[in-house]
Amino acid sequence: MDWLEEELKQALARKEPRDGFDARVRARLQHRPPRWLAVAAAIVVTIGAGEAWQQYRGRQAKEQVMTAMRITASQLTRVQVHLKEIEQ
Amino acid sequence: MELTAVRQALDFGELMREHQAMVFSVLWHFLHDRDLAEELAQDVFLSLHKNLAAIETPAHAGFWLRKVAVQRAIDAARKRSRRPQVSLEEVAEPSVRPMAGDPMLGGMLRRLIATLPEGPRMAMVLRYQEDMDPADIAETMGIPLGTVKSHIQRSLGLLREKLERRGVGER
Repeated sequence: MDWLEEELKQALARKEPRDGFDARVRARLQHRPPRWLAVAAAIVVTIGAGEAWQQYRGRQAKEQVMTAMRITASQLTRVQVHLKEIEQ
Repeated sequence: MELTAVRQALDFGELMREHQAMVFSVLWHFLHDRDLAEELAQDVFLSLHKNLAAIETPAHAGFWLRKVAVQRAIDAARKRSRRPQVSLEEVAEPSVRPMAGDPMLGGMLRRLIATLPEGPRMAMVLRYQEDMDPADIAETMGIPLGTVKSHIQRSLGLLREKLERRGVGER
């Protein structure tokens, strides 16, 4: 190992973090939400997403029915007009 | 000793005390930002706490921590999405030329290393901070052995050239 490598070893020697590092890590550990809370949150989100999807599907089905009824009504009106024309 | 017994012997606090300097220094020497290094070092230990059940021995813990610290450091550098904060040419010329053994030279070397690209920088940190051989560095970084050797040789050449240009040399 030459002089530069020796200097690099000294320059890059391990340094300790500021005092109280482990206390700061432990403090962050205590502020973490408990695992059951994360699981509960995931369940709520899943149920909520499921309900939202059902509502979306319901709205789409209703819109399709309404469109079909509008088309049918329009066709019936045209048939009625045509029948009246024939009667006259 | 049975594996379960070894696992039970692993104490999070003890692992933290034993490895905090290693984890913090890898991050600090690589990122050249003390606050960010501290925050990421905390993240690494929070991750260890979460994965403690998968750690088999104290040696495994050391290996695992080093690997995670390396990955976090590289991710953070990419997130910053810019090269090191100082370019090689911007490293201040010392008013007095430091010689080998001079503490001023240590600071200058750390700043020069901070200007290297990601791969060579991490290889240099692991080689000279952790005293790891190239094969272990290659395994930790997940890159070929030849690449590690080339990173180290080229970085040493570059540093030597820059130092010589600044009139820094062996006493």
